[in-house]
Formats: sequence, structure tokens, C-alpha cells
Amino acid sequence: MRYDLIVIGMGLSGLMSAKTAVDAGAKVLVVGKGTGGLCLFTSGIDVMGALPAGAAMGEALPRWIERHPDHPYAKMGWEGVREALEAFAELFPPPYGFAPEGEGNCLLPTGAGTTRPTYLVPATMRSACRLEKERTLLVGFQGFRDFYAEYAAAGLKCRGENLAIPEIAGRNNSATSLARLLEDLPFREQVAAEIVRRLRGETHVGFPALLGFRNPMEILKDLEDRTGTAIFEIPILPPSVPGMRIFRRFRQHLIARGATFLLGSPVSRILRNGPSCTAVEILHPPVTQVYEADRFVLATGRFMGGGLCADEETMREPLLGLPLSASLPREHWFERSFLEGREHAIHGVGVVTDGDLRPLDGAGRPYAANLWIAGTLLAHQRWIDEKSREGIEIATGYRAARKALAS
Amino acid sequence: MNREESKIVNPDVCIRCATCMGICPVARVTASFPGPKQAGPGAERFRKPGDPSVDEWIHLCIGCRLCDTVCSSCVNVSEMNLLAKAKYRDEHGMPLRDWMFAHNSFVEKLAGRVPRLSNAVLRNPLVRRLLDRLLKIDLRRPLPVYEATTFRQWFRTHTGRGGKPIGYFYGCYANTHERDVAIAAVQVLEAAGYEVVIPRQECCGLPALGQGDVGEARRMAERNVPWLLAAVRSGLEIVFTSTSCGHMLKYEYSRFLEIPDADEVARHLHELFDYLRDLQGKGQFDVRFRSRPLRAAYFAPCHLRSLQIGFPSLDILRRIPELQIEMVDADCCGMGGLYGFKKEKAPIADAIGADLTKAVERLNVEMVLTECEGCRMQIQRLTGLRTLHPIQIVRDALEPGAGN
Repeated sequence: MRYDLIVIGMGLSGLMSAKTAVDAGAKVLVVGKGTGGLCLFTSGIDVMGALPAGAAMGEALPRWIERHPDHPYAKMGWEGVREALEAFAELFPPPYGFAPEGEGNCLLPTGAGTTRPTYLVPATMRSACRLEKERTLLVGFQGFRDFYAEYAAAGLKCRGENLAIPEIAGRNNSATSLARLLEDLPFREQVAAEIVRRLRGETHVGFPALLGFRNPMEILKDLEDRTGTAIFEIPILPPSVPGMRIFRRFRQHLIARGATFLLGSPVSRILRNGPSCTAVEILHPPVTQVYEADRFVLATGRFMGGGLCADEETMREPLLGLPLSASLPREHWFERSFLEGREHAIHGVGVVTDGDLRPLDGAGRPYAANLWIAGTLLAHQRWIDEKSREGIEIATGYRAARKALAS
Repeated sequence: MNREESKIVNPDVCIRCATCMGICPVARVTASFPGPKQAGPGAERFRKPGDPSVDEWIHLCIGCRLCDTVCSSCVNVSEMNLLAKAKYRDEHGMPLRDWMFAHNSFVEKLAGRVPRLSNAVLRNPLVRRLLDRLLKIDLRRPLPVYEATTFRQWFRTHTGRGGKPIGYFYGCYANTHERDVAIAAVQVLEAAGYEVVIPRQECCGLPALGQGDVGEARRMAERNVPWLLAAVRSGLEIVFTSTSCGHMLKYEYSRFLEIPDADEVARHLHELFDYLRDLQGKGQFDVRFRSRPLRAAYFAPCHLRSLQIGFPSLDILRRIPELQIEMVDADCCGMGGLYGFKKEKAPIADAIGADLTKAVERLNVEMVLTECEGCRMQIQRLTGLRTLHPIQIVRDALEPGAGN
């Protein structure tokens, strides 16, 4: 079978490319070596967290883009980024959606007891944006090791307590088992009663982000009704339940629209014929499958996703050996102090593209006539320092598919 | 199985990202199983070849392999679990029930000879209570019913319509318990212009592997591979309808059991719908469908997911006029083949199944389609809905006299 588009990578950028293409009626195959980064999702859609606090995104980001003409955002401008964010958000109709709180970034509390800026806030975290410390109680669970309420509360200067629910206390429960239990009314009643017992006048209650897989807002509203407080979710250690909500929603949408969804094995080779890519080889030992397509989007991420590889001396893009933006000697990859706050040069290295996100060869010409790059594999972005990961993934995933289908 | 000889086990490529913890159906419903990250690469770092096994929870791994499919570091968690399970079994012995399950095909063959007697005995409440008490085979779970005649018997008296020959691996369950699945496969292939050939075959050995009885699984594989190899070398491509048998034949024989020539066989083994989808892509699946005004749910079994071919039956089912197909939003049915029959694991199987039941109920459908016999048993029992292999619906939708 021949596809209109093959998307390589199942992180947010690959899923966004695939969604954009199926929505345009294309026959799409999406292939992922594992599920990409959504299980490690930080729970907000960061677009440019590094902008000054209080700055309106629609004004500050265009100015930031002007100062960073090589950045992936510069290839589509703020208007293009916004269009892509809207396309993403339409997958999540109310009540559980993603929306900005005000004009700019909002500071969300984390399980580490810090706050972090993000742009699109999931509905379940909305009441955390205006955190009033003395009126907030954080709750964890005895028997759950991935969130310690007292620890997070100490950093956020509020109060924290771990609830003792007999059914789970004293055991080592997984995040998914708690998310599942919270979908159950009898369990929720116990939780609500425990919270009420521990309230000392607080009006807001922060919960580890475990409020169910399917209808988190329903669960949240129910807990609010039972406790008489405003409830919000706090992002915690992986696996990220909010990330799984996003992954499942994309998967459901893509399969319903007829996409072929190949989860598990890596693409071992991209076959070429002259100036064009023709097919991907998927290695699932002892069998190699070949799938042909007219267009290809490469959204394989960076080192964790396998989009970039490094040995002791060099970095490379393993599938096609695409030229990287810089070849740095090893001693310049990292700053002397890992957490000192200065940017590590390695984070800026990636695949260089033209304005349409087509990768360039060493001579600055498009590497192939039908290949586009999406996501953090792209050069000239530093998503860790910029706090821009999801924005880049969504905007370039959307853009790459649009450009591919227009060709 | 000698662990040092296995080149599969390398816990150090795990980066502890916990993505597998997000998908594991067992860790989602019980705290008794530590989940793939701990049970697989986590515990593996503490396992020394000479040391006794202390993994008393390892038997709770349901063997769905979903952890392998989501791992971005390509850790074969389920293979580590399987090796650990085999080692635990070697040291602690195997309960009689699990020995029987491992030798399931032998039991099936005997019982299948006298289907009426077998059905009468296995339906007897007293027998069921004894099985529950003595063997810990869960009383509440219906045992599969033996067909009056097997698929093999049907096929022996069946005459094809000629055409290009194609091999078919039907699997034990279809042979003795659900022969219409295998008959439907033959009928659809014939409508597509094929002459079905049945290469010599027996149980794939997955029931043994599931009990951690690697030796027994290997014996089955060593018999099947030469037979299938002969068929393949005679020019046949071989299709299968049971995704569990198929996964065993195509991947475990080669990768886990390392049976000689299994690689060559694997390259000619195809899930039936994957094969039909390929034909369809080449414009060679030339059949006409009549409309089936039905609302059905489709559930993708774990082993189909592990085949990593997508959901090819959807690509065929969507061609049938007026057939509405909704995908069940659940990752596992909880049956795990024989896992769900075990009394001590039945609560886990039921809890996983309860989530799937809710997902099916939300869809408001008349029937459920899925390729795996274990899933069909579980879904049928929990939802009360009619459950079929998708090939049966495809067969029912064939225009009479359609095809070549």
C-alpha cells in the first residue's frame, strides 16, 4: 500500500503532523519507536516560558522572533504558531481543554515545589494559576511514592498532607492505579472525606495530576462539590497521566480517520531514489517491513527519542546522516557546571532546514524533494532554556504536514 | 533457558522514564505487581545467574508485551519477565494446573476426540467446583465448548475452487472450539481467488511459554518449524487468524527460542488481514461486499499490537457498506490467554476487563470484533455481547458468488 504521507515519530510533533494530514484527507502512516515524550509531559503547553513575566504572548513573542531569525518559530511567525496551537486545542473540546490564562504565561506549581511558566493550561490546572499560599492545601497519598505533599508544600510555602486511605496505604501504588481508582465514585468519596477532615480553612486543594484518564473535569468537579474547595492538579513524576490523555486522544482521532498506526519498532532506513525519498524500512527482527509513500515527515526528537545520536566524539542524525547545524568538539558540548544556568551548546545543535522545514544538505540545497522536519530535532532552538518544547512540536508538526501536503 | 546465552537481556539501556508504567494493564489494577520498570530492567540488575530467584510476583506479568511496544529505548521488558518467570518455575516447580495448561494441546486433542462427553463433564457444576478447589481453575469463568466436528474434519471434506495456493495456520482453538473462524478464513481466501492449503502443524507452544515452560514451548516449535519451512520452501505464503499463535510463530520462535530456520519461516508468515490489506493496496483483493447495517466495536488484541502492523482489519472492514466500526478505547482485555482462568489471577483479569467493559458500553454497539480467542472469551463473558473474529463479518458480507 502506498501512503500520501509517512510520519516518523510518535511524540507530540509527529502526532500533530499526522493529525494535520488526516484532517486534510490524506492517507497517513505514523510509525513510532515507543510513544515519544508524552508520558514525560510536564502538563502544560509551553510556547516561550522564557518571556518576561506578565508579557502578552501576542506582543512579546513576535518581538522575540524578530531577534531570533533562525529559530523554528521564525519560519511561520506568531500567526503560524497560533494557528497550530488552535488546531491542537480543537482536539480537546470542553470541559477538558487547553487554554491560555490571560494574555501571557501563567506560573504553575510543580511536584518539586517550584513554579514553572507555561502558556496553554489544561483545564484541571486552571485554579493553580493564582495560587494563594495561605489558602492552599496540597494532598498526596500514603502508598504513593511519586508525589510528597509536604515536600512540594515546603517549596510553595503552603501546607501539605498525605491522605491515609486504607485501601491503598502501606502499598506501592502506581500512578495509573490511582488515576483509575479516582474514576470510581466510592474511592472518591473516601478521598473527599479525608480531605475535608484535614482542611484548616483552606479554600484550594492541590492534587497530584491523577484525576482519571477520560473525564478529569468530571472528577475534579465532583471532588470540588464534595469538599467545597477549588481543586487543581499538580504535575508530578512520570508516567504523566495528563500526557497519556493527550496521547490517547491523538491515537483515537488518527485511527478513526483511517491512519495506519505502527507503534513499537524503529525505522531502520529511509530508502531514496535520486532526489526523493521513496519508502521506510521498519525493522522488527526477524522481519523487515517496507512502506512506501509520496512524502515523509521526520519527527524523531533528540537524543532520548533517537533523532540524534552521540558517541564520545561526534553527534549525528542516524537515519539519513543529515548535516547538523554545528560540529562541536566534545569539550564544548556542555558548560562546566551542569546546572549553573548557562545554556549548554549541545542543546542548540540540530537539523537545519529551509523556510518550509525541508532539511538542507551541506551545500544549502534541500536534501530531498519530499522530506520535512518537525519537532525538537530542528536546529536553532533551545527548548530547555526557552521553555518552548510543546510550542515547537505543535507549530512545526503542523507546519511540516501543511507544507508536505501542499507540495 | 540459560540466561547468559541470551543476547536479549540488557537492563542498562533502560533510562527509567516510566513510560511502560503508563501502559502496564496489571500495574494499573493491583499494587501486588511492581510493574514493568521494576519487574523487568529494575529487578534484572539484581538477578545473578547462580542466585535463587526471589521474584515471587513475576507470575503476575500477563505477557501482553505492551511495555515493549511503548519503550523508546527498545528494552524487551516482557522477554526479561519471561526469562525470570522460567527461572522461578525451574526453582520452585510448577503447579499441576500450570503443567496441564502448558500441555494444553495434548489435553485438547484428547478432549476434542469426544466432544459431547468433554462438554458434559466440563459443564458439570461438581466438576467445576472440584477444578476450582483442587486445581484453582476459576469457577466463574466458562470453559470453552468443544465443537461437534473440528475444522480439520470440515476441511478434509471441503473442495476448493482452485486458484493460487496459500497456506493457512488455523491454531488449536479454532480447530476444536471455534471452527467457524477458520472456515470463514478459508471462504474469504477462496473468494479472493486462492486455493487454501493446510501445512502440517500443531499447537504453537504459546500456552507452555505463558506458564514459563520454555522447554515444552521449544519442543513444539522444533516440530512446527520444519513443517512450516517445507511449506514455505515449496513456494507458499502462510496466513494466520489467531494473532497470539501468529506472534509466537513469527517472533518468539526466532527471537526468544532461536529455533534454526525460524527466520526464514517468519518472512513468509502473515496476519490474514495484513495480507488482505496488501492485496487491496495492489488492487488484487477483488471482492464485492453487500451492506451490513450493524454497529460493531473493534478491539485490538495485545499480540496484534506486538505484530506492529497497525490495525489492518479496519482497512478491510471499512469497505463494507453500512458497517459502523468503533475502536474500543482500552489497551488490554485482561484475559491473557490462560491467565484469566487461574483463580488467584482472576480478580486482576476481571479488574482489567471491567475497564474494557465500560469502554465497550460507552460505544453502544451490537457486537464486538477482535482477532484473539482469549479476548473473545473475556469480552463475551463480561459484556454479554456477540463477539466474532473480524473475518467472520467479512465472510458474512461477501456478495454471494463474489470474487473470482
